[in-house]
Amino acid sequence: MAPKRMPPSTGTLAIVIIAAAAIAVALASESYTQFVLALVALTTIVGVGLNVLLGLSGQVSLGHVGFYAIGAYVSAILLGKGISFWLALPLAGALAGCIGILLALPALRVAGPYLAMITIAFAFIVQHGTIEWKSLTGGQNGLMGFAAPSFIGLPFAERESAILSVLLAAASLFLFRRLSLSGWGRAMVAVRDSETAARSIGLNPVAIKTASFAISAAFAGLAGAVYSPLMMFVAPDSFPFSQSILFLLAVMVGGAGAQFGPAVGAAITVLLPELLSQLAEYRLLFVGALLLAVLWAAPSGVMGLLARFVPRRERKPDAAPVDIDLRAFLGRGGATEELIVKGVGISFGGVKAATNVSFVAHPGRITSLIGPNGAGKSTVLNVIGGFYQPDRGSVTRGGVELAGLPAWRVARNGIARTYQTTQLFGAMTVLDNILIALRGGRLGHPLSALAGAADEDIARALLAFAGYGGRTDLEARYLAHVDLRLVEIARALATRPRVLLLDEPAAGLLRSDKNELGELLKKIATSGIAVILVEHDMQLVMTVSDHIVVLDAGEVIASGGPAQIRSNPAVLKAYLGASDMQARPRPVPWTAPPGEVVLSSLKLDAGYGAAPVLENVSLSVRAGEMVALLGANGAGKSTAMQAMTGLLRPVEGSIILNDERIDSLPAYLIAARGLALVPEGRQMFTELSVLDNMLLGAYTRPDADLRAEAEALLRRFPRLRDRIDTRAGLLSGGEQQMVAIARALMAKPKILLLDEPSLGLAPAMISELFAVLADLRDEGVTILLVDQMATLALKVADRGYVLQSGRIVQEDSAAALAHDPALEAAYLGRLETVE
Amino acid sequence: MPVTLRSLSRRALLVGAAVAFSMPAFAEDTIKFGLVAAMSGQSAKSGEAIMRGLSLAMDEINAKGGVLGKKLELVVRDDESNPARGVVAARELVQREKVAALFGGLDTPVSMAIVPFANQSRVPFMGVWAAGTAITRNGASDNYVFRVSAVDALVDRALVDYAIKKNAIKKPGMILINNSWGESNEGGLKAALTDKGLPFAGIEKFQDADVDVVPQLTRLKDEGADALFLVANVAPSSQVVKSLDRMGWNVPIISHWGPAGGRFTELAGPSAANVHFIQTFSFAGKMSPKAEAVFEALKKKYPEVKTLADVTPAVGIANAYDAMHLTAMAVEKAGSTDGTKIRDGFYAIDRYDGLIKAYDKPFSEQNHDALSSGDYIFTHFIEGEIVPLTN
Amino acid sequence: MLLFSAIVSGIAVGSMYGLIALGYHVTYVVSSTVNFAQGSCVMLGAVLGYVLGIRLGLPMPLAIVLSILLCGLFGLVVERLLVRPFAERGSSAWLMATVAGGIVVDNVVLFTFGKEPRGFPSFLAAKPIEIFGMGVFPLQIVIPLVGLGLAVILQFAFQRTAKGKAMLAVVQNKRAAQLMGINVRRAVALSFALSTALAGLAGILIAPLFSVQSDMGTLFGIKAFAAAILGGIGSAWGVMLAGILYGLIEALVTSFAGSSYTQIVAFAVVIAALAIRPNGLLGRAGTRKV
Repeated sequence: MAPKRMPPSTGTLAIVIIAAAAIAVALASESYTQFVLALVALTTIVGVGLNVLLGLSGQVSLGHVGFYAIGAYVSAILLGKGISFWLALPLAGALAGCIGILLALPALRVAGPYLAMITIAFAFIVQHGTIEWKSLTGGQNGLMGFAAPSFIGLPFAERESAILSVLLAAASLFLFRRLSLSGWGRAMVAVRDSETAARSIGLNPVAIKTASFAISAAFAGLAGAVYSPLMMFVAPDSFPFSQSILFLLAVMVGGAGAQFGPAVGAAITVLLPELLSQLAEYRLLFVGALLLAVLWAAPSGVMGLLARFVPRRERKPDAAPVDIDLRAFLGRGGATEELIVKGVGISFGGVKAATNVSFVAHPGRITSLIGPNGAGKSTVLNVIGGFYQPDRGSVTRGGVELAGLPAWRVARNGIARTYQTTQLFGAMTVLDNILIALRGGRLGHPLSALAGAADEDIARALLAFAGYGGRTDLEARYLAHVDLRLVEIARALATRPRVLLLDEPAAGLLRSDKNELGELLKKIATSGIAVILVEHDMQLVMTVSDHIVVLDAGEVIASGGPAQIRSNPAVLKAYLGASDMQARPRPVPWTAPPGEVVLSSLKLDAGYGAAPVLENVSLSVRAGEMVALLGANGAGKSTAMQAMTGLLRPVEGSIILNDERIDSLPAYLIAARGLALVPEGRQMFTELSVLDNMLLGAYTRPDADLRAEAEALLRRFPRLRDRIDTRAGLLSGGEQQMVAIARALMAKPKILLLDEPSLGLAPAMISELFAVLADLRDEGVTILLVDQMATLALKVADRGYVLQSGRIVQEDSAAALAHDPALEAAYLGRLETVE
Repeated sequence: MPVTLRSLSRRALLVGAAVAFSMPAFAEDTIKFGLVAAMSGQSAKSGEAIMRGLSLAMDEINAKGGVLGKKLELVVRDDESNPARGVVAARELVQREKVAALFGGLDTPVSMAIVPFANQSRVPFMGVWAAGTAITRNGASDNYVFRVSAVDALVDRALVDYAIKKNAIKKPGMILINNSWGESNEGGLKAALTDKGLPFAGIEKFQDADVDVVPQLTRLKDEGADALFLVANVAPSSQVVKSLDRMGWNVPIISHWGPAGGRFTELAGPSAANVHFIQTFSFAGKMSPKAEAVFEALKKKYPEVKTLADVTPAVGIANAYDAMHLTAMAVEKAGSTDGTKIRDGFYAIDRYDGLIKAYDKPFSEQNHDALSSGDYIFTHFIEGEIVPLTN
Repeated sequence: MLLFSAIVSGIAVGSMYGLIALGYHVTYVVSSTVNFAQGSCVMLGAVLGYVLGIRLGLPMPLAIVLSILLCGLFGLVVERLLVRPFAERGSSAWLMATVAGGIVVDNVVLFTFGKEPRGFPSFLAAKPIEIFGMGVFPLQIVIPLVGLGLAVILQFAFQRTAKGKAMLAVVQNKRAAQLMGINVRRAVALSFALSTALAGLAGILIAPLFSVQSDMGTLFGIKAFAAAILGGIGSAWGVMLAGILYGLIEALVTSFAGSSYTQIVAFAVVIAALAIRPNGLLGRAGTRKV
């Protein structure tokens, strides 16, 4: 897997041309122009350094003037002592880099404004340090009169300094490109996009972020080292804090992350003030205003703006996957050590999340962890993956103790994983997501390409193996839900794991997708990997598992083969509840009274950006009616809900609530008009108490007797009564769902919308949920329901609509829809079996 | 391709920018002088004062037909108190605007940064405010830097002499602003005290933004300071006075010329009168006819100037005024705008009846400072006006 | 004596840092953005107070109320023009935009208000009163009282009133807050108005002890940001206390180690504190779930 040479690109050519032009200008002009040119070039170098930090690893520094000053002082001091500039230059860069590493130590622990503050504090400390350390820095009056550098006997004047600066700037732009395409550069992006996922493919975020800090600081130090001989003078006032802001501004104005961003930004931020110098005292005012104008006109930077006008290059069609023996790749010569989890216990804030959990996962077999919500399944997975350190117990494989190791070390010991909510590196292409994982944490030379052709072949083969058939050059954030899952599995496999941890991989998948997923899991196991599966979908679990471990309240209550587990009474009681999932239909079929439409849409079109998700959707819900909106994943159900509630704007067509058009109203005004949504994923106010959550539901009716109404709702949801003062974030998923419904009911809505209320709930909880829905229906609440559990939804509903690819393709009574076999086959995959 | 108004204006902007950047403004029948000073930020007032002083003198010269038959023109650049900006501005003025001489502003580091460039490019650089000793005494064999302003080393001697004579100090303390000006005077005061064989109680620094200087002053008091040397601009100086008031510490304060830079009484309260500070010039008291004429001209040219309290800082205006006249005379003597000839022109000036004093052979190869210790006077603020103190 | 004087100085200046820092806290929790023109708002409060109360001669209480209202209005402008256009697109350019906005405002004031620092007379800062043999301006006692009082009021408003809880709801979940009928944009705008009003108040309070000029706020703004971070920007109490702590550190270091080390030590303390407590002294780590 020798890294192939990076092809010379148009980018490199552009660097050469621009540098040549700049040098030509330097040769032909007088010293003022040379001087300004040098300043642009030096700002570019610092900007490139900042771009490594900001554009690649996503960290902001407001203290880079500190590194710049360090570089400048080092070269001024050394030149003053008669040491050669050509020695001082690398020393300045190296010292700044080392101090960058020191600063990274505290800086790595923090993010956002905390990081900004640490860097600000650093800049001030450097400034005051240069003031106070008089013997070395000359104090406030600074240093001057140090020798000018010379090159083979030619002393440096402005012209030579300008040429040197331009050459260094060109080199830095080139290095940035190489770095950003290298394993290190991609790893920086990976850590930025998802630090969690980066760790689980064996990347050490501390090392990677420290590296980006050091590189960034070294660039600034190098630029500083050229700056002092150019100015022939350095003083603390030469490095005001505002210069830091200008550096950062150069990167942002140019476009963070773009290769030429810093150069463009430096040109603007250095030349603009020079062009405006005739304004004398009004200059700063105009500079401020013009920079604002640039920010408004190009919020993603000038390069970002230009990119919109440049036609996208024709993409090469994806190379067909080469036939590669993935079994050999994944099997790694057939290692046979099993993963042994022994007596693991962990508690959070006094609450035991897992107690004495033990099981063994064998290579070549699928071991499933099941249990009701809050049983501790994800906790155990996180202990194995190195994200939690257990209080007791051990996790070993092949005699190596894994418990307590940092996640990236666990990953390098052959443990890979996927996440409940997928954690791909969104800004990287699908292919790069796999390639970075292929490195297994070893990033190679920081300037060599991420991967060679052989690696790319393996990556494509892995994607094909996982069942992903889409483009590989697409950025991962644009992937559809099911593809996210598949690519994430392929990425986990790319680390050549011995153990694969899967956290609810089937969540949100269609039945047919789930079946394919099941086949994939079996294939993976067959290649010799120990698969550990956490999953709610019993059908999937029962079909694929070789061994099942049942957890309840953090303890193992049963383990064995699928047949054993299915008939284990303790499991049935704990996990499935007293009976199977149920939904109660209306005692008497509902007959629609004429008129009285509460909510309707007419020829509704909606979508995100250019692609419409909904087309020509017309539906209506009458007072007292319960309507189900059904359809496969990606059919547009959630989009329809968001359009109705106003969370998605703008939309075309009309939405009418109680004879009033609401299609141009924002969400909060629609809520005030009596439409309440129980959103997907519950959307609790996690830090507020259950009661406060409920009271906020009645925000639009401040005069009502809210305590009494809340009390009434607690009679409906008795399990919330004990937890009324608990923070909502601490509740289990099922309890949160109840809070979400209670919160919506507090609004006394004219119509209640529910978006996937059963998602992620254990079967017993789902039954309870549908019982509540049936009660509400019987009490006359108008309801529009979206739910994956199509059969259950049709049981409780009066009428249903079926969405396919954003269009309504079927509308009928719920009973009729439930028995429509064509519907079942075409749109819902196979319906869940309900006893 | 249809040319839209938008694209046209965009092109015009580009062309304009290119022209502005690539061509000296206009070729000409004027002699240009450049000013690099703090025109914005907290020292903006100083830049304004310098510009007013220079402009008044220039108006007078131009009214009499200019120099070498050409009118004088002033080109102003803002240095933002940043040495780097100052150097770039100086280069631009010399190389683009082709100015015959440069005038400097308040900040010593900015002037220090310009000095090597001025000497190297052989363009006279006239300091009218920054008092850093090394600006004119820069050690260059070919020195193009002149000054019509105070010199820290001389000021510090004068301060110590005054304090010994007036207050019979035994162990003074220093309270200095934490910038290069403060640092320059730290050295000067130490040297002056050593010459007189006096110890000092301590040296304390403070920042422009320090609301409260009591901690520093308390340290000095605890060390037994019997007088304070104060070096800071008007606003921070007033913080020192207010803090002293709060402490109830009545101690003689002998100050550099900072308090003259603004409305010291308004800022520091009645105790402002306790601060005795050094000046090169003051409009206050009985004005000379020259001073009266300049004051009238100021009022005429700048309508916002109504009373003497609006003429702040007077030293900036006066130094700049005299410096412009002296520079014009140097050009006249040189007979050309060649830098070296102008430099020699300065040496050739015999006599000039200026605003500050009557100059007699103000410059020579050994002496690039037009003002000396004999030109310093001590003053204090009474009711918002600067009143000379009798020695 | 030295210690006592340092403590009095530190608390008074520190409370002002705390007030400004509260402003950073308010916008941060509601919108995850901060207004880096906060220092300019401090200056604006002082300048408006001076212009209305002294130049135009309005009764001082009226001038103060008007200035604070105008500062609040300025906050709305900042949010609308400098923050919203970027924050709603997920861009962090609001950081630069508010900095640039601050530069513009400082310079506009420089050319309209004037270049000279002006004194802001106040009977609260004219004559020192004596406490334990130490001279203290009454204003130096008023500032901490106002600061702590406001922290209490803010805490109460957020925890106990419906509007306050609505703000908290916006803080925690913007989408869900909209579904409750809460106007999230308005809540964010209000948080900016509140934030700049606090800064304006701090400016008016400090003006009589200091002087009024166009760039007086810059360093206050930075130090207050340091205090906000030191305390944990998500915690109102933490921010207020850290402001006082920061003022105390400055005063104590100046008193006992000498003024040369004040800035170095104070900023080093911030770095060290964050290295040990990455979410600030009273900040709470967000619940992290994998």
